[in-house]
Amino acid sequence: MRQPVDRYVDRLLRRRRPKPFAPTEDELSVLRAAIDLSAAAPDAGEPRTAFVEALRERLAERARTDQDAAEPPRPAWRAPARRRILAAGALTAAGAAAGASVDRMLGGGNAGSAAASSQTPPQTEITPTHGTWQTVLDSADLPEGAVLQFDLGAVNGFLRRVSGRVQAVSGICTHQGCRLALDATHELLTCPCHGATFTPAGLNLTHPRPMSRPLPALPRLPVREQDGRIQIYAPSTTA
Amino acid sequence: MVWPLGGAMRAARRVEAADPPARQDGAASVPTRLPSAVYPDWDAIYTDNVGRIYRLMFSKVGNRPDAEDLTSQVFLTAYGPLRATAGVAQVRAYLSATARTVLAEHWRRTLGHQVTEIDPATDLEDFASMSPPPEDGRADERAARILRALPERQRQILVLRFLRGYSVRQAAAELGVSVANAKVLQHRALRAAAGLEKEGEAP
Repeated sequence: MRQPVDRYVDRLLRRRRPKPFAPTEDELSVLRAAIDLSAAAPDAGEPRTAFVEALRERLAERARTDQDAAEPPRPAWRAPARRRILAAGALTAAGAAAGASVDRMLGGGNAGSAAASSQTPPQTEITPTHGTWQTVLDSADLPEGAVLQFDLGAVNGFLRRVSGRVQAVSGICTHQGCRLALDATHELLTCPCHGATFTPAGLNLTHPRPMSRPLPALPRLPVREQDGRIQIYAPSTTA
Repeated sequence: MVWPLGGAMRAARRVEAADPPARQDGAASVPTRLPSAVYPDWDAIYTDNVGRIYRLMFSKVGNRPDAEDLTSQVFLTAYGPLRATAGVAQVRAYLSATARTVLAEHWRRTLGHQVTEIDPATDLEDFASMSPPPEDGRADERAARILRALPERQRQILVLRFLRGYSVRQAAAELGVSVANAKVLQHRALRAAAGLEKEGEAP
């Protein structure tokens, strides 16, 4: 008489963790009903303070660990490799000079990439030197809070209206240059290539490599409203 | 820096500790009403959303140990990709998308079927809305619908067992039946409720 499904329900009733089993379709409906009823119990609402604080501490601990790991002294494999090159070079007549230049190349490369990766450039503005103000939309078509995509050929991006003012950001992902799309909620710009997301203001929200630094923000585009039209300053298509 | 230092997080908690009443009503400190609002740091993301994710998960699994595990998984998974300085609406969209995946994986692992799922149309609308959630959530709504549709005796046993936390023995005493009868009554009530669930799913 006592089936696994009854035991599952029993454990829900005793506020315990239920045990896995292989339910039939009918049993699944029983479980759904039991879950709905359990979730309506008065003590179902809020998480325990102890749980909330323990998880907070766990996340904070991870933030600290990541902070420590964020600045590695130098990848371990580099130094031995450089020593190998130097050692090989020293055996030849021109070795000293060749070794030194290789060393400079490696050293310079390291410094350059370190500098590039340690900074997230501020949101820049794309301002073409030879451009014209080109109409992309009637002002009336962009209500407060809306986000819309536009494409002028040379530049494409997203328009939004915040507090009455129009802003425009580039529509090209700052990861590897794929073209961003507006998601179904009209609240996210998503990259089809690696799944990076940006806010309509251009800030990077998620990016393909967990735990690494955020991607640079999307560049802003010069935009103005004139005579009921929204215009972007962009290179003319004939240029 | 993308993530706040531990010291900053501890400082933020001290501030909260000094003002406990404000913590009770769902983190009133975060400006959730503005569509363009932005979280100042990870701790704010966590404080503002931990209750939402937990309630969402509880309504889908019906027990605390699982709800706590799944809530932890959502935050530990979302922690990496989510930037602290992001907009409130975007953070919630990301968290709820993560929750959806985590719940699906939980059911796949335990029962091998999608017993419940996070429905983008209803659950996420509640979740992402800028206003506080309605007094009685969707779970209460579903439970009330089930109970309304059942015969009186079946409704009574389910209310006593699930909503009042009565043991079988207590419920039997309350209803004036034997323990064995109470068990049978509960068994039939749940199957009747299951029938209603199935009807509800049909278009």
